[in-house]
Amino acid sequence: MSEAATADLKAPPKVSGEKPGVGHMEEFGVNFARFLMRCNAECGELAEYNMGGQQTVLMSGPDAQEAFFKTLDSKLSRAAAYQAMVPVFGEGVIFDAPPDRMKTQLKIQVDALRYQNMKAYASVIAQEVQDWVAEWGDEGEMDFLDEFIQLTLNTACHCLLGADFRYKMTDEFKSLYHDLERGLQAIAFVDPYLQQPIFEARDKARARLQELISGIIAERRANKDTVYGDALETFMSGTYADGSYLSDNEVTGLVIATMFAGHHTSSGTAAWTAVELARNPKATEEVLAEVNALYANGGELTMETLRDLPLLERFIEEVLRIHPPLVLLMRRVIEDVEYKGTLIEAGKTVAISTYGSHRNTDYFPDPEVFDLHRAKPDTLWAYIPFGGGPHKCAGNAFALMQLKSIFAALLPRYEFELVDPPQSYVDDLSAMVLKPGSPCRLRYRRRK
Amino acid sequence: MPLTVKVDLELCQGHSVCLSECPAVFDVVEHDDGYPQVVVLQETPDDALRDQVLAAARYCPNHVITVVED
Repeated sequence: MSEAATADLKAPPKVSGEKPGVGHMEEFGVNFARFLMRCNAECGELAEYNMGGQQTVLMSGPDAQEAFFKTLDSKLSRAAAYQAMVPVFGEGVIFDAPPDRMKTQLKIQVDALRYQNMKAYASVIAQEVQDWVAEWGDEGEMDFLDEFIQLTLNTACHCLLGADFRYKMTDEFKSLYHDLERGLQAIAFVDPYLQQPIFEARDKARARLQELISGIIAERRANKDTVYGDALETFMSGTYADGSYLSDNEVTGLVIATMFAGHHTSSGTAAWTAVELARNPKATEEVLAEVNALYANGGELTMETLRDLPLLERFIEEVLRIHPPLVLLMRRVIEDVEYKGTLIEAGKTVAISTYGSHRNTDYFPDPEVFDLHRAKPDTLWAYIPFGGGPHKCAGNAFALMQLKSIFAALLPRYEFELVDPPQSYVDDLSAMVLKPGSPCRLRYRRRK
Repeated sequence: MPLTVKVDLELCQGHSVCLSECPAVFDVVEHDDGYPQVVVLQETPDDALRDQVLAAARYCPNHVITVVED
């Protein structure tokens, strides 16, 4: 996208069905993934809708999505679009930090995902999955969304805050985390500082969480020689350009931000993977053969062996295509921008829909069909479950590694069956992150 | 057949998988602001490094590395 220079530019086409006062909010609220597909079908690459006064331009198709991802932060701002996260992450953290400090904080977050850490995480996850499965018995029935929410909370805490914290994880911690999550309902994107009980609870939880994490930080500073191999260690050792360390508030903020980026996105995807395995027995057989071959060769689940499970990876990628956890990505327009002769004015929001992009029939024929051997598009900008460009989700390798570790452990041990009719397993879009609707019941039976 | 290594710095976030796989060809350097990024030390590495270079490209989490075989 280039800067708007002339007055000859068009305005983006507007989506029909706008209502006085609320614009398209009602239709958006019913099922926003479907609403965004309607916007694209009606208006094409650019489609402007109205969210209670906030004009939003949906950008669809690989060209527009590439422009969205590649345009500089100074023109299309993530920070301005995600202010609802500020009271959750904390003051001065990421979207509330000045640009240079935000960049350093994000860099330190990525440092925690480098090679040596990833190796440690791989063994933590394998251990967590093994402990979980040990209690299953020969057969049973469970709500796998609930199960995966718990499992990935355990792995997230373990990788982020260490074994000590993980195994002492209290109900208090879970309830604080829950209060933070509840602070991110749709209303937070209108104004996160309204006088509301959910926001009061959010702020209390944020403050208490910082006390807890400050306690661990103080303990670790007193035991300088211990090596932990978790993300907290990386966050505590990172520095700004002037050599100063992150404050307890900033470290806490990075811990929370990492939890929010990785937890429900992973639990929802894991639950959908389990459902799709049960729903697609032929594809599952192929994946199982690949996993069995790994074990037959004496392999264990390490970062290295997990990288070489291409069919399992393809399976998860197809799950992410049909059920992308983050459906809607946004930026706020800071400076007027031009796209193919159309002006998008400062003050508007631009958005893309991963869900819609993954159903673009030019790139994904029969998009609702789960196809393990689907051809990959010849562009980087059509399949975007982790976004793209300079701000692509830095946790993508962690996420895939964790999902592969879970299913490489489960598949050879158990087979899965749907409990309810296949069509009753549908996407739930009532929260920020897409997940299978409740209940998400599956039966499992030990393989002979 | 000689190899040519190319990287897309718009996509690199400095995960450093390449550096672990093939330190003879890839380094990752810190910048004043933003992510550390890959630096290619040899654009046309020796054929003896082929497997390592291909592993670096295959396992790069952001698919930053392209290897062209002429």
